[in-house]
Amino acid sequence: MENAIEAINLTKYYDDLLAVNHINFEVEQGEIFGFLGPNGAGKTTTIRMLTSLTKPSDGTAKIFGYDIQSQAIAAKRRMGIVPEISNIYDDLSAWDNLMFTGELYQVSKAEREKRARELLEMFGLYDRRNSKAKGFSKGMKRRLTLSMGLINTPQLLFLDEPTSGLDVQSALIIKDVVRELNQKGVTIFLTTHDIEEANVTCDRVAIIHKGKIAAIDTPEKLKKTIQSVQSVEVAFDKTTPKTLKELEKIPSANEVRKEGDKFRVYTHDPANVLSGLWEYAKANGLKPISLTTLGPSLEDVFVRLTEIEVKTKKEEF
Amino acid sequence: MSKKFSMGQLKTDLSASWAIAKKDMRIYYIKPGTLMFGVLFPLFMFLSFAVGKNAPAATLIPGLISITILFSSSSIGPMVIPTERRVKTFERLVSAPISFYSIILGKTLGGFLFSLAISVIPLFIGLLWFETQIISLIALIAGLSLASYCFATLGIMFASFPTENPGDIMMLLNFVRLPLIFISGLYIPIESLPEWGQIAAAFSPLTYANDLVRYALEGKTLYGPALDSIVLLFFTAIFLLIGMSIQRKFSEGVSLGKKRRKQ
Repeated sequence: MENAIEAINLTKYYDDLLAVNHINFEVEQGEIFGFLGPNGAGKTTTIRMLTSLTKPSDGTAKIFGYDIQSQAIAAKRRMGIVPEISNIYDDLSAWDNLMFTGELYQVSKAEREKRARELLEMFGLYDRRNSKAKGFSKGMKRRLTLSMGLINTPQLLFLDEPTSGLDVQSALIIKDVVRELNQKGVTIFLTTHDIEEANVTCDRVAIIHKGKIAAIDTPEKLKKTIQSVQSVEVAFDKTTPKTLKELEKIPSANEVRKEGDKFRVYTHDPANVLSGLWEYAKANGLKPISLTTLGPSLEDVFVRLTEIEVKTKKEEF
Repeated sequence: MSKKFSMGQLKTDLSASWAIAKKDMRIYYIKPGTLMFGVLFPLFMFLSFAVGKNAPAATLIPGLISITILFSSSSIGPMVIPTERRVKTFERLVSAPISFYSIILGKTLGGFLFSLAISVIPLFIGLLWFETQIISLIALIAGLSLASYCFATLGIMFASFPTENPGDIMMLLNFVRLPLIFISGLYIPIESLPEWGQIAAAFSPLTYANDLVRYALEGKTLYGPALDSIVLLFFTAIFLLIGMSIQRKFSEGVSLGKKRRKQ
């Protein structure tokens, strides 16, 4: 079966700046593929190249076997694009925005009217179909952008930060629709800052850092690569500003982070940390309210992979 | 494969161009900036130079039509494209499965149709109140159409510069449009211009637009309707080529076309 996406040595220079550095990866049909990375890592440039908005400086990519440069129109026909910024026409109604997008994608009149009705109902916008988009909230605009990305019934959907900064209702609707689409066989290429969203949504993720793919695998396999980063999360009945510093002295504690009313102690030896915590609580008259042992999260993988280079760089100086 | 000519793709591109033009008409025709630069500005420019002249009003109508076409058709692109860049809807067009030519055609169609609709106003004013006559209907249709399309592409060429502010383009465009008014025989016949003025007039598309409209309404021409039409088509092609090349260059960012330094 043809891959939905195949990036081959994909590269982009902006003058002397190497934004995307000869990356290679494949996305299989029907996958939800997460593309993670810190700001400026090359995520948006990669999406722009995959969607033919930016010409690669070197290498290429194929969408369902169609080259994004020499067969751009055929490739674009198979994709829906939902950019980070909701690029809708504020002066047109929700309905007219969908009709116009349908015309651009050569969807027949009968089909685009049927699709528009389905999509507006699916995204909870049908009652507002005749309202101009300029009066819509951020969440409604985002839902309309997603509807427009689906008007041509794409086989592959590019989602750039789909739920970033949205109200809970809009974010839930979008997550549900993405899951539903994937169940119907639509391949999803998703970029997000929300690592937990990627963890629970994606079949596989790629972490891009400084233009290079730092890791690519299923979330669970990626977590296994850093088993040394386990942690113990503890909450005491009372804390002082000194607690964090004191917890760092516990044997086998590699790092301690304060997360709300809890402390997270990173370690390669959770058993040793547990007994250290017990002794600390006893010595200071503290009562643990909750205590949880955690494996590495996808966020830990992300932090580890994107910080390693920073640390290495520092050591070089 | 996709680079080969295909009737299906041509049909697709034309229908996409029409969709883009319809959308632009609905959104941008009644925007204050469009009405200001496309309708009121040419009218007041014309009145400020025509009022008080001793020439019969009917002889001023071709000039009024030409100046209306120049301003109305060339104002749509500079209003629409930077605005669409700012709100990122231009990327929606570029990411659609249509050729870049169809986007440009759609954008020029917006200016062309706007100008055709606006230019019939001074024509009817002339026909109804100033005894203007149509000497050649074919030349009139050719004049209105070719001039409208030519100046629409002039607007697109300027709008191709990478700015998100329509005002920047309008300012730049006026540096070209305003001098054109004075060297193109609208107020002073080209024959009466000094030699340098006559040479400059030959490089102005407005000269040929005005000459064609004057021929259609007064039967007078300096270059002949055939040459006027050919030169207008030539200018249209030049504006389109330059516009598309600028557009392509800047849509790729500053890096397009430069030799890359490999790591």
